Amino acid sequence: MRLAHARAALASVHQKVGVERVSDEAPALPLAEALGTLLPQGLRRGQVVSVEGATSLMLALGASASAAGSWTAIVGLPRVGVVAAARRGIELSRLALMPHPGVQAAQVVGACVDGMDVVMLGPSLALSHADRRRLASRARERGSVLIVAEQWEGANVSLTVESSHWRGLGSGDGRLREREMTVVVGGRLQGSGRRVNITLDVDPGVAWARPGVRTVVDEEVA
Amino acid sequence: MSAPASAGIPRGAGQGTVSTVRRAVLWVPDWPVAAAMTAAGLSPEVPAAVLHGRGMVAVSAAARAAGVRRGMRKRLAQRACPELEILAYDEGRDSREFEAVAAAAERVVAGVEISRPGLLMIPADGAARFHGSEEALAEALVSSVADYAGHECSVGAADGLLAAIVAARNSALVPPGGSADYLAGLPIDTLTLAAMERRHREAVEDLASVLNRLGLYSLRDFTALPSADVLARFGPAGMWAYRIGRGEDVRPPVLRRSEDDIAVEYVFEEPAQRVEQLALVAAHVAKQLDAALLGAGVRCGRVCIAARTERGDSLERIWRTDVGSRSGAFAKHMADRVRWQLEGWLSGTSQGPEPAPLVSLTVTAQDVLALGSEQTYLWGGVSGADARAHRTLERIQGLIGADGVLSVREQGGRGPRDRVLALPWGQEPAPSRRIEHPWPGRIPDPAPATVLVQPQLIAMLDAGGQPVTVDRRLGMSAPPTWVRLPVDPRDERMAAARRHPSSGHVGEVGEPSWGLPQPIEAWAGPWPVVERWWAQDSTRGAYVQVAVRDGLAVLASFSGGAWVLEAVYD
Repeated sequence: MRLAHARAALASVHQKVGVERVSDEAPALPLAEALGTLLPQGLRRGQVVSVEGATSLMLALGASASAAGSWTAIVGLPRVGVVAAARRGIELSRLALMPHPGVQAAQVVGACVDGMDVVMLGPSLALSHADRRRLASRARERGSVLIVAEQWEGANVSLTVESSHWRGLGSGDGRLREREMTVVVGGRLQGSGRRVNITLDVDPGVAWARPGVRTVVDEEVA
Repeated sequence: MSAPASAGIPRGAGQGTVSTVRRAVLWVPDWPVAAAMTAAGLSPEVPAAVLHGRGMVAVSAAARAAGVRRGMRKRLAQRACPELEILAYDEGRDSREFEAVAAAAERVVAGVEISRPGLLMIPADGAARFHGSEEALAEALVSSVADYAGHECSVGAADGLLAAIVAARNSALVPPGGSADYLAGLPIDTLTLAAMERRHREAVEDLASVLNRLGLYSLRDFTALPSADVLARFGPAGMWAYRIGRGEDVRPPVLRRSEDDIAVEYVFEEPAQRVEQLALVAAHVAKQLDAALLGAGVRCGRVCIAARTERGDSLERIWRTDVGSRSGAFAKHMADRVRWQLEGWLSGTSQGPEPAPLVSLTVTAQDVLALGSEQTYLWGGVSGADARAHRTLERIQGLIGADGVLSVREQGGRGPRDRVLALPWGQEPAPSRRIEHPWPGRIPDPAPATVLVQPQLIAMLDAGGQPVTVDRRLGMSAPPTWVRLPVDPRDERMAAARRHPSSGHVGEVGEPSWGLPQPIEAWAGPWPVVERWWAQDSTRGAYVQVAVRDGLAVLASFSGGAWVLEAVYD
């Protein structure tokens, strides 16, 4: 309660002094509630989000937008689990996969940025630094979101999975049910990195068995 | 709860105020077996039966004379009639073959409804007036079907659905208004004849058996019950049976209007195998098809591209086209599709028979709709974003080929790799495995976010460093303690570790490169999966889920004495 008060006060001061720019950019795409702590400002159109270490986090970022009617392209990720994408909420009828764009990666990604709302890029695509800058500015202009599975110079937000922990597995019994991730949120406009704990694949069974494990902790990494 | 429902429905049913349609029904006896025999080229005297699951679903007249009955097991049937020809069950073939019968009937009457393969329904009033009488109509139908489709059939006419079906089986013409009396004395089981789908038929069979056990043997007994009580006790299925049993209709017949498919054929003067040559032909054929469609005043929803090769193989592929957004650019769009398809075949990149020069090319428009009668979405047409995305994907297909852009859908299966059906964007999907089927042994959710295209070898070791095995009775030789996951062979550190004798690698070249052993924190399994044990391509294996340090969880499977990495939960 006091934390919320303090945050509101800080936000109003920021507004007055002008530390944080009031965005005049395109509206944000919908984002799952559980990921709100990662991207408090939502999945802004026109930005580049780099995700390292978790394909499922990439899929989760794009899921709500896809369910709400956006088109999604996945380029250069031949091993993406389609069932996982569908379970996370990506609408498969509005999903196109380009597993091996080859040497024409720059043209293919450029066309995707023009025509699709969310474009997910795999690692090791044949893109030069100049290509990357051009694609980022094209995405900003067209209002589509690039979600990249590797480090991307100048990404608006970069999410790095520091550690994750699965629940539900025993020694020879149980099954994978729920996972908790510690994600370091950094990037161009993010200031110093902060660590956020999130839970994916929330399984009420596990949470019920061990109450009180799903808490969100923000702390400064400095 | 039941008060509003029972107040709403039975008024009409109770007082018989629903208007019934006078209809003629054309019935071909034992249709599945008749269709199968036609497809297999057997003569009608051969005793034959269609086997589905564990019993015979349809039996030909000759086989019935020899003592084979519906529902008989294969072994019993073969004992009754050793020369019995057993044919496979195929719903698609039944419908396809029935098209010939429907076409023959359409030579006599203007519109027919195919209730199910083997049963045609025709509104009798107008047709009978045209032909003079119902007898004349029946005669014309029977002779037309015998002449043009080569099947024997029987025709009956009555008011209402069930009476008409029973009349067709008896070749009877029930006078108008006589349906209720005609049905009254029939046994309750007769109701199943009017159920057209399998699920529905099963529900009606259950109902009939319950009614028999309650002491109601004829439709007269059943329809004498108060309708409100029938609804309260037997629900909607009971109410349906009640109304049908009284000789009423539950819905009017849905007639189809036959539209011929529009096809354009191009025969090559010399067998063609150069892509440049084909590009011109593709553009030409697409333009011709567009002109033919425009001339007929129609548009199409799907296009079937078929070609024959010099060796006599035929290649066929169906593509969707957008009816709404494609009015101007249809010819160019289709030319691209045809060209990609032919390029794929000639270069041998797509699956199919061996590439060979093409002899002829046929492009057929299917799902033909009259211009202007296209259905759009309830809230307006295809949205701007959808049209833009479609155009984008087509442009990318032009860049990296039709197979470079995939559309995916989920299908039934057990392993994570089996559960995805990927097709080139825009191609009409073949029927896939059903998701609703139970799939025992399926890997439980959450699904892995990374599914390896090719499984990779891993090593699963016990505490002493010995490989873990799973025996036929699913006993693990020891709990897995260490796992060595595959690493990128170009990784220098791993290559160095590999050279060291303590790494356990002997240093052969083709050997998979494994990372260092990692301790297993938790695991679950083994879950057995045995697939198609009756066939040549049977697989047998056991899955385990393993979590190692740093929250990495993987799905591994053991089969044929080796562990492979199937998927990663990353």
